[in-house]
Amino acid sequence: MTTEQTEKREKKRTGTEEITLPVAGMTCAACVRKVEKALSGLPGVQEANVNLPAGKAAVTYDPSVASPSDMERVVTDIGYEVPLARLDLLVLGMTPGHCDLIIEKALRAMPGVRNVVVNCATDSVKVGFLDVAVSPATIKKTIRELGYEVSEKGEGEAGADRERELRRLEIGRQLVNMLVAWPLGAIVMLGTFSDYEPLKGIVPSFMGEKLFLFALTTPLVLGPGRQFFVNSWNGLRRGLTDMNLLYATGIGAAYLIAVINTFFPDAGFGGEKATFYEAAALLIAFIVLGRYLEALTRGRTSEAIRKLMHLQPRRATVVRGGQEIELPVDEVEVGDIVLVRPGESVPVDGVVVEGYSAVDEAMVTGESMPVDKRPGDEVIGGTINKTGAFRFRAVRVGAETALAQIIKLVEDAQTSKAPIQALADRVAGNFILAVHALALVVFLFWFFAGYHLWFDADTKLILTPYSLENLEVFGFALLISVTVLVISCPCAVGLATPAAMMAGTGKAAEYGILFKGATAVEALSKARVVVLDKTGTLTKGEPSLTDVIPASGPPGESELVADRPDGLPVHGATVTRDELLRLAAAAEKNSEHPLAEAIVRAAREQGLDLAEPESFDSIPGLGIDAKIEARSVLLGNRKLMTDRSIDLSSLAAEAERLEAEGKTAMFIAVDGALAGLVAVADTLKETSARAVSELKRLGLDVVMITGDNKRTASAVAAQLGIERVLAEVLPQDKTSEVRRLQGEGKAVAMVGDGVNDAPALAQADVGIAIGSGTDVAKETGDVILIRDDVLDVAAAIQVARATMRLVKQNLLWAFGYNSAAIPLAAGVLYPFFSQIVSPELAALLMATSSFSVTMNTLRMRGYQPPVKRGPPPASPEPARREVRTAVEARP
Amino acid sequence: MRAGTIAAVVYTGLSLAAGLVFLAITTAFGNYNWVARIGGAVWVFALCMIILMPTVIPLVRERMGDRA
Repeated sequence: MTTEQTEKREKKRTGTEEITLPVAGMTCAACVRKVEKALSGLPGVQEANVNLPAGKAAVTYDPSVASPSDMERVVTDIGYEVPLARLDLLVLGMTPGHCDLIIEKALRAMPGVRNVVVNCATDSVKVGFLDVAVSPATIKKTIRELGYEVSEKGEGEAGADRERELRRLEIGRQLVNMLVAWPLGAIVMLGTFSDYEPLKGIVPSFMGEKLFLFALTTPLVLGPGRQFFVNSWNGLRRGLTDMNLLYATGIGAAYLIAVINTFFPDAGFGGEKATFYEAAALLIAFIVLGRYLEALTRGRTSEAIRKLMHLQPRRATVVRGGQEIELPVDEVEVGDIVLVRPGESVPVDGVVVEGYSAVDEAMVTGESMPVDKRPGDEVIGGTINKTGAFRFRAVRVGAETALAQIIKLVEDAQTSKAPIQALADRVAGNFILAVHALALVVFLFWFFAGYHLWFDADTKLILTPYSLENLEVFGFALLISVTVLVISCPCAVGLATPAAMMAGTGKAAEYGILFKGATAVEALSKARVVVLDKTGTLTKGEPSLTDVIPASGPPGESELVADRPDGLPVHGATVTRDELLRLAAAAEKNSEHPLAEAIVRAAREQGLDLAEPESFDSIPGLGIDAKIEARSVLLGNRKLMTDRSIDLSSLAAEAERLEAEGKTAMFIAVDGALAGLVAVADTLKETSARAVSELKRLGLDVVMITGDNKRTASAVAAQLGIERVLAEVLPQDKTSEVRRLQGEGKAVAMVGDGVNDAPALAQADVGIAIGSGTDVAKETGDVILIRDDVLDVAAAIQVARATMRLVKQNLLWAFGYNSAAIPLAAGVLYPFFSQIVSPELAALLMATSSFSVTMNTLRMRGYQPPVKRGPPPASPEPARREVRTAVEARP
Repeated sequence: MRAGTIAAVVYTGLSLAAGLVFLAITTAFGNYNWVARIGGAVWVFALCMIILMPTVIPLVRERMGDRA
């Protein structure tokens, strides 16, 4: 059992619950800390983890003390928004003036419902609600219980739409701010520099008037700039700080100096030549630009999850009472027969009962080729029917469907935090205070020492024509102090890890690789040993017939010697290959042994007609004795044949050769004479050899673990190129074997069946459950591979490593930016060059830092794991080369 | 007395003290004009308030066991 599962069980036991609360309006790591602190401060809340790029807060709480509404209130109080879900309903049977009031009153009384708009004329009811507090199904049920027919309107409510709508609103809001800030800022800048070349004589002189600049800048500060002051004050009075505080102090100080210099030019702040209106105006413009660009790009890092959400079909055609009825998909019930026509999406999970088609499952499982579906086959909701029409019985609906489970898993992973994020969080969380403390130190230094030591009357602000000859000690120290505040950017630090994790886990989901948390991504990237379970992971997990060898002559030779009048073979005679297989399969027809089933299946696949045995006797541990068409057929191991005095000498060498290849050889005697032998083996998957080769190319030590005997295990390992094998390991001993490997000091990834190998998967540093199929929720691994393809193990490791590379690049960029920019703003170069960074340049640099982190993260959108691009041109390690295999058998 | 009020008294008092210390130093030493002295004291006070508010409020709440 994984740690996460243990925690979940513990939460259930202790009566706590966990919800994911959407939070809008967060812009930086300090916002994350602010929201986390506010939520954690709520009585009954035990833990709150906020994911900035996802705009979500995972809250663990005691429902008897706290409620989602309390959380909504506290988040709103500190200046953020908990976006409401919207439900657009078609309600039939309403009459104006009465029904609308009843429905409105009933819905408003429900916890979590925030607004209700009833329109009898259009039979429409629109509900705004907190989806963590009340579900759409409960709302619809309430209306139904009032006696109305209710159904959901086709479009608009799905989470993907809501998220897109929210993003659109945020982009729109920042765009409006931009449209106000940039033209005004540009005019203010032109006016400020109207006396300088090349603007001199072109820009009307009134634009340079201080009162004109004051008149333009003031609405800018009070309009688009107002949000920074309001939000920072709301946080401060609750003991919380965020990025807005840096902006507010920067803008406020620049604006205040400008106003003082306008109305009191002799006050010593630089006089009329240094009004800094353009600094305040451009500060706002650049900050708003930064937010606009972030709003545009940040949402794209979670494109994968949105794509998955869009797969969820909205409507289904269900056959009830012989009638085809079109329903909203959430009204499909388990057991319903659902009709899917060509080109339509499969609405829920189920089993085909009628028809034949090919279904494109790429978007859910990563399988690139359409999969044939016949009666008895499973279909997955969200996949697309390509060719024929078919009917299927719904097996899983709503939140139980594979797609819903996958979305939940990916969302959970994106809300979780990786260990590497701990440092970034600590830094970002205390960043704002540290920067203000630094601004104070910088101010005191330049006030008491720096100004007197190095001030130069020709001081220039970088990239401006300003000369600060009139600036006195306070104005100079204040200017540098303000620039330090403005240039610092915890946004980039806070975004670096979660944005990369979102992009990485989302990208992995596109290939059917599901990480259960950011921790799993980090752990997998660090794995140095990969332990592969043999049966079901490297092999197909079910035996199949590999060889049929008649008693004399090479396989397939068609020679039948019959010297009896009835044509039956006699002692020493040979039978044809097909006849041998037909007799063996007929004899095994009534056996349920897996080896017998493999023989019968192979015979049927070859179109052989199997006679009904006249008698059948199973001899435990030895084989079978049957009578087919009046012939006595013995099928079994050496001991059975020796007991019945059958001479095996002609095939003894063949049998040994087959066993050395890891196959199970069975002798067949007909009428007391050896007729041939058949061999059965658990065959390798087509991609196993390449997967092992790819894992080695990634620098991993590949270990195979199996319960098979040493000879069989080493034969299989040799075919795959695996040098280290742990053989004869009982299922219950796999955990201790993994622990033993961990004891060698390397991080171990264990790949196996998510059910049988669960303890070993839990013991490993990272457990990879392979071939989970569609029921991903039951899996125990830290990483879940939907497809039964061991090549996906290599793909998962490649995605994990690429994600961690991105995290490190982002952190390097974010910390590097601040490490370089803050000293520059603090004036370390001033004594040498007599130039200081202007506040507006600081704002531009600040805006570009988090934008750069986001853009770097977006590179992940085009990422394709190398292993998915096809086999390497020249593999350095042919799969079937001779290898020296070290087999470690366990007692 | 509520935690919020106590915290406000603490952070405002400390910030005022810092501003006054600045004012006293600049008055006693050096040759600073009143704009520098008053402006500097106000800026020191403002930054101290910003630094101390989020530091003092949780500390006081924690000591008084008031998480609301």
